[in-house]
Amino acid sequence: MKARYIAAGCLAAALAVIASTASAQRVGEPRTGATKLRIWLQTDAQANWPKVVAAANAAVERKHPGVEVSVEYQTWGNHLTKFDAALAGGTAPDVIEMGNTETTKYMAAHVFQPLKAKKYPNSRTWLRGLRDSCRFKGKLYCVPYYAGARAVIYRKDLYKKAKIKHKPKSLKEFTAAGKKLMKKYGGDADFSALYFPGKYWYASMSFVYDYGGRIAVLKHGKWRGTLGKPKAVRALKKLKSVVRSLSRASRTTDEATPQQALVFAKGKVGSFIGNGWEWPYALDPKVGNPGLAGKIGAYPMPSHIKGRYMPTFLGGSDLAIPAPSRHKPLAAEWIRAFTSTKSERKLAKVGKVIPNTTKLANINRSNPQLAPFAKAAKYSWFVPTSPNWVNVESANVLQNMLVTIFTGRSSVKQAAKHASSQITQILNAG
Amino acid sequence: MSERFPAVPAPAAELLPPRPRRRFRADRIAGRLVPYGLVVPAAAVICAVLGYPLYLLGKLSLEKYDLEQVLTRKGVWVGAANYTKVLGDSEFWHVVGRTLIFTTVNVSLTMVLGTLIALLLAALGRFMRLLLTTGLVLVWAMPVVVSVNIWLWMVDYEFGVANWTLSHLGLGSFRHHDWFVNPWSGWGVITAVVVWGALPFVAITIYAGLTQVPEELVEAAAIDGAGGWRVFRDITFPILKPIFIILTSLSIIWDFQVFNQVWLMRDQRPTSDYYLMSVYSFVESFKISHYGLGSAIALIMVATMLVVSFVYVRQMVKLGEVR
Repeated sequence: MKARYIAAGCLAAALAVIASTASAQRVGEPRTGATKLRIWLQTDAQANWPKVVAAANAAVERKHPGVEVSVEYQTWGNHLTKFDAALAGGTAPDVIEMGNTETTKYMAAHVFQPLKAKKYPNSRTWLRGLRDSCRFKGKLYCVPYYAGARAVIYRKDLYKKAKIKHKPKSLKEFTAAGKKLMKKYGGDADFSALYFPGKYWYASMSFVYDYGGRIAVLKHGKWRGTLGKPKAVRALKKLKSVVRSLSRASRTTDEATPQQALVFAKGKVGSFIGNGWEWPYALDPKVGNPGLAGKIGAYPMPSHIKGRYMPTFLGGSDLAIPAPSRHKPLAAEWIRAFTSTKSERKLAKVGKVIPNTTKLANINRSNPQLAPFAKAAKYSWFVPTSPNWVNVESANVLQNMLVTIFTGRSSVKQAAKHASSQITQILNAG
Repeated sequence: MSERFPAVPAPAAELLPPRPRRRFRADRIAGRLVPYGLVVPAAAVICAVLGYPLYLLGKLSLEKYDLEQVLTRKGVWVGAANYTKVLGDSEFWHVVGRTLIFTTVNVSLTMVLGTLIALLLAALGRFMRLLLTTGLVLVWAMPVVVSVNIWLWMVDYEFGVANWTLSHLGLGSFRHHDWFVNPWSGWGVITAVVVWGALPFVAITIYAGLTQVPEELVEAAAIDGAGGWRVFRDITFPILKPIFIILTSLSIIWDFQVFNQVWLMRDQRPTSDYYLMSVYSFVESFKISHYGLGSAIALIMVATMLVVSFVYVRQMVKLGEVR
């Protein structure tokens, strides 16, 4: 009898404890009274400008005591999968960083809250490339965050030793300079005059746009892939010959695996096409080679037309507020704090990226490390603005085509036509 | 004759067979229900954890569930449209063919090599057997993500140890040899990784079975002049047949569903040459956001595996009956 009472008492006590904790805290809610503002940024922010993030958090927390800003860092590889899962589970963040090629699909599905441009700093002078990635059917769905342009990053000392007198001003001069480098250093089987991995579609499509080709065009409301057209095929053939003669990089990996800046840092690469942040990354004391400081320079990739630059892919990120968010005014305030002129100026200086407004363009122009990238951004191209574009990226259509071309598995024309029809199909689906 | 037990008259004995009512006494019913009662809790948990998601998967495969539907959390009913689309897609049939070939090759290699290793284990001395078993268990214990990443580094294009070793062994220049350019070579590497991970379980299980083969039979056969192969074919294999059938069925089920190794060996962005049914379903769902289509593909996989697991379950039931 006694044992039974003891057991019943323990059970009752346990249930009481569980009941009290359950009622006091629900999953996802912080301590009673505090509101949690959840932000999803990419690891680039965590690695390169954590202080800028902390400053924005502090600004919001100062103005609203009782609000706790929590930033979660995501990787580019799976942040969309996680976002979809969060939307399905009702735990979407209050602010999310999206790549500018990813936004159209989500804007078309009404995932983001429409915003009023005039409420955000510098909206009149936002970079056009970024602003266009935030606009869908006349409404604004996100706020430009930062942009990046690619240019040729090269070893000044190797160029000098190979007697390359001045920076190439045309694709012809560039190829000739590369061949000089290969003649002098190509005996080492690891050396590349231009390190160009096979799946590097951002730099490959620059060739297509330079020769007047395009990935796809919108005609009568339907998309048509145009990589199989003569101009694009000519560009791809030129690309194939340049890569074949100047690059010893793998034909089946992309520019991030391994990180091309780090391969460059190992010293057996003459030049590579990279973003502004890849220059300091190559000099990183932990993973790069600080010994190369002073030996690195950059210039915009020259076009096949002398005196012009090859159009560079204007990459970048935007900040959006998902529609299911329960703290939209707070989220908007955080975005305002994070993209304020002061914050963007710091971001450009510390992160070596292009800020979201032309007002701050002069920061980059005066800095010799950033000026080539700002110059390169003058001529830019962007992906077809279709909601299904991100599905083309996910299906690896361009990467497949490039691998087939560089490995010689099929002719350039065949590979381009096949990719073109795949793009037509995916862009028009649904 | 004792007084305590009155003798039952002989004709009365014929009245002794129990009347029908006695069979339905309460405790006999209770006795019959106890096994079910013991199984119900476990079955309930399995139904909840496996059955409910399976039901949701089926429901999803009959709906159009793209990004807009993720947001509103309501699917649009399309009936069998997803299935007709999937079954009419030539890419899908290529993927199915590739998956079947992959499964066949992997299961065959796993069973043959596993058996050979088990026979080796049986023939080794105590110390070497301990060493080999430890090696097998370590392989078994290693998490897939960790081991596949290390394999990936080993076959790396620029810095991989495989290329370096092969070049130094004088087998030609493997400098900058990309193992994944040619899909046959790429699949060879992935098969090696999958079989490597699957061997320990098969080898150790068969070895355990081998210890049950009566030594007298083997000795008698040896005296009669039978060589190793005949002993295996005529004595060992028939005795171990149930184990082989079970292991083969399990291997088929596991190798059919392989996802991790393929996904990680191709850096989470496999080209279409490297799609298996599991990878194809995942890409359709989570990359292209066609959750309805991806669910249809997944359900087709489940149906295929149900057929195979039927064989496994039947074998288990048969085993139970023999004992």
